Amino acid sequence: MDTLYEALRLVFQPDVMLAILLASIYGLVVGSLPGLSATMATALLVPITFYLSPIAAVATIIAASAMAIFSGDIPGCLLRIPGTPASAAYTDEAYAMTRKGQPELALGICVWFSAIGGIIGTISLIVLAPPLANMALEFSTYEYFWLAFLGLMCSTLVARSSPVKAIASMLIGLLISCIGMENPAGTPRFTFGATDLLGGIEPIPALVGVFALSEVMRAMTTAEPPRLPRRRFGSILKGMIALTRKYPKPQVRGNIVGIIIGVLPGAGADMAAWVSYAMSKRLSKEPEKFGTGHPEGLIEAGASNNASLASGWVPSLLFGIPGDTITAIAIGVLFMKGLNPGPTLFTEKASSMYALYIIFIIANILMIPLGIIMIRIASFVLRAPRSAIMPVIVLLCAVGSFATGNNLFLVITLAAFGVIGYVMERNGYPVAALVLGIIMGTMVEQSFVTSLIKSDGSIWPFFSRPVAAILAALTFAALLWPAFIWVNQRRRRAAA
Amino acid sequence: MHLPDKVSGLFLVGLGVAAAYGGSRLPPVPGQQIGPDVFPMVVGIGLAICGALIALGIGRHFEEEAEADLAAHSDQPAPGATRSKWAVGLKVLLPPALLLFYVVAVDRLGFVPTGAVMVLATALALGARLKLALPLALIAPVGVHLVFYKLLRVPLPDGLLPMPW
Amino acid sequence: MTRLTRRRLLGNAAAAGAIAGAGPSLAQAAYPNRPVTVICPWAAGGGTDATVRIIASLLEKEFKQPFNVVNRTGGSGVVGHAAIASATPDGYTLGMLTVEIAMMHWQGLTELAPGSYAPLALMNEDPPGIQVNVNSPHKTIKDLADAIKASPAGKLKASGTGQGGIWHLALIGWLVAMGLKPNHVAWVPSNGAAPAMQDLAAGGLDIVTCSVPEARTMIEAGKAKSLAIMAPARNPQFKDVPTLKEALGIDYATGAWRGIAAPKGVPADIAQKLTAALKKVNESAEFRDFMANRGFGVKWADAPGFATFMADSDAAMGKAMDAAGLKKA
Repeated sequence: MDTLYEALRLVFQPDVMLAILLASIYGLVVGSLPGLSATMATALLVPITFYLSPIAAVATIIAASAMAIFSGDIPGCLLRIPGTPASAAYTDEAYAMTRKGQPELALGICVWFSAIGGIIGTISLIVLAPPLANMALEFSTYEYFWLAFLGLMCSTLVARSSPVKAIASMLIGLLISCIGMENPAGTPRFTFGATDLLGGIEPIPALVGVFALSEVMRAMTTAEPPRLPRRRFGSILKGMIALTRKYPKPQVRGNIVGIIIGVLPGAGADMAAWVSYAMSKRLSKEPEKFGTGHPEGLIEAGASNNASLASGWVPSLLFGIPGDTITAIAIGVLFMKGLNPGPTLFTEKASSMYALYIIFIIANILMIPLGIIMIRIASFVLRAPRSAIMPVIVLLCAVGSFATGNNLFLVITLAAFGVIGYVMERNGYPVAALVLGIIMGTMVEQSFVTSLIKSDGSIWPFFSRPVAAILAALTFAALLWPAFIWVNQRRRRAAA
Repeated sequence: MHLPDKVSGLFLVGLGVAAAYGGSRLPPVPGQQIGPDVFPMVVGIGLAICGALIALGIGRHFEEEAEADLAAHSDQPAPGATRSKWAVGLKVLLPPALLLFYVVAVDRLGFVPTGAVMVLATALALGARLKLALPLALIAPVGVHLVFYKLLRVPLPDGLLPMPW
Repeated sequence: MTRLTRRRLLGNAAAAGAIAGAGPSLAQAAYPNRPVTVICPWAAGGGTDATVRIIASLLEKEFKQPFNVVNRTGGSGVVGHAAIASATPDGYTLGMLTVEIAMMHWQGLTELAPGSYAPLALMNEDPPGIQVNVNSPHKTIKDLADAIKASPAGKLKASGTGQGGIWHLALIGWLVAMGLKPNHVAWVPSNGAAPAMQDLAAGGLDIVTCSVPEARTMIEAGKAKSLAIMAPARNPQFKDVPTLKEALGIDYATGAWRGIAAPKGVPADIAQKLTAALKKVNESAEFRDFMANRGFGVKWADAPGFATFMADSDAAMGKAMDAAGLKKA
């Protein structure tokens, strides 16, 4: 009890509260700019944390990253530009809701269920940190291989298209991830002698290209659509409470999946969102509505990615293994401030640990009012004419892509992926599956090759380890699923 | 750019074969049994198979069903008819072309003038009147510069027109 | 932030004055009279980024001018290193060089080598430790060395970074120093030290070579232990871990290092000024505390010292890469 009191005293300091508030606003703004990811928002804060007290420093990181992950949904929803790879899974769904005239509802779902997911993730962090961390340590490369493979299979489930085309898109993504020398062999592949390709294709410019730039390109050929029908949503929160009641199961499932995936180092919010969205569609009673602006998948995936954000801190705090790029930065800040990660942090510095939990909860609660203000402001964007919005988007895409590495080659990447995205979309190839392939490619190859090296070429350990066996079974189920429905439909059609 | 499935499928077969061939020519790494060639070959072959299936029209009815679902559940009218083909084709390429212009010009002209050209061109192509496009082209790049250069410390080049901050 | 803004405004005013030719005294205002860019060839958030940022913020205090860190990523470090080499040598663009500059050219990935820069100061070096799982049967480095010698080639698995990365070369150097073949212990490429340490704890690997700060938390969590470090002297934070020389009599030391350099042709007086300031930074309590907290090793060498150091490192890396078969003819 004393430690809890001490923790509260640590948190409720004017400097800490001010740091949380400012970092939250900052995170909201940066996350909502296309191309600027939550990781970048966090990295830019590091020099500022030099001047802050330890708790305030960690508070800025937590608040900014949580807000940025949510606000990455804003451009995704309003303009079909996912702010972060984590929101790419459900960008199309959210955008479809906007086109139906429900932007506030879509964003309301994002903020509300993000906040709840974040709080539940934090509770898991408090209650389950040691057992969860030990579970994460059971994962060797064999398990990661199945996990990554399973993630890839989601591409066939999320897309509203032919599964064959979805798999083809995903394979193109994997092929793109082969470019460069960031592969297990450290050998440059498909670089055609270009230095800029040595590091591979950056996911963010690619993502912005296929979603945002291709949208601008489409706008060039189509006539301005009629003004969106404005439906009034009195209170955003009121609608949310109704949705919480209507969809309890997806929400709980999203949280659990998010927590589990978040705990595994290397598999962060991105994968949590994909898996949850695919699962939601698979298990929904109305899967045919997915992709048309249906809230169910948004609820599940939105909850999932924020839950994973909190549980991603578990391996970071216990073993110093970053759960994702954001916690990698956070670990640096923890070290710098003398809060060295490790089991001793939980015993010797328990009050600081509790302070961290409290900050998590405060940040997630603060997300609701700040997020609603942000949504109200952002939805003005939709009232401006298209010919005023699109030019600014082009400019923002260019600057945002450039800013991910301060390298003009990234702008070329953006342009190329705009064209690729446009052509693919016109021909029924889902671009979301392409993005999934690009994001997951390295992990699939890395875990596959290193596993084989460790087992001296034998594939037996892929099936003999208990966790690996379960994951393998799940993967084969997902793999056979499109074939199964195809046969089933054939039969039904033959019967009719 | 709407291609029949036969064309896009065959293109993928070609891409897959090229990737598998390119992968197979990568040198092995000493001390590693699984070299850098394996993954591109697996992906390339997979892609070639998918391409063949697409060219044969397998899975096509899923798309038709999905489109029907989309039409049934969305109250958005179908996008308006497209205009003359060639003009349209060139116009589509305007945004990527402007980005390449950005790459070439930004270091010499500076961010604000380059941005202004991009905004102006896009706005006019989308049918904005000069009354809207010109002020937009003057204000938007300056605003973007302020946020990214000043607050986020992105090193945007000054070029001919350094900003006062 | 506000402090910074004012400083920047003053800097701009000074720069504007210089351009306008307001007077000889102003035009030749002492370096630096406008913001300085410091290029970091690696992404924001990593160890190199953190080191650059603390150095930049201390230089900023020293010179009363903003030192802006710019992450120029891409090409596995090649792009950023190239940007430093090709910047205008006026002292307003500096950068951090990392050990990769002594490695990449051997693989034929770039023409750039340590000699392509005007070195200013060496700031940090981290020697690799040799880590095993806490339940490993090898209790000392001697046990492990004997086990390696006794085992058939390729049976034991080690990791710590990608194929041909700095910690892979460290392992090769050690194996060669023991008179073994470079691939006697199989290398499992990993995406950095953290996943390798995790796999070590999960029982998937026998050995991880990576720097002590990277292994530290796992060691403190009781999941792994460090048997030796490949350094000339013990790490004061891990006094119990012997050096290879003490334990095995093998005089082999290596490490990942970071230093500040300018493009070639930077005026000598500016270079001297920067080196002097970097020495102050290196000795400052803030820098020392920061590096100690992160577990990074502090190292100092002035411009000529850094040049010799890089030349030595370059030769050593070339030898190790040749042994590993990674060197391009």
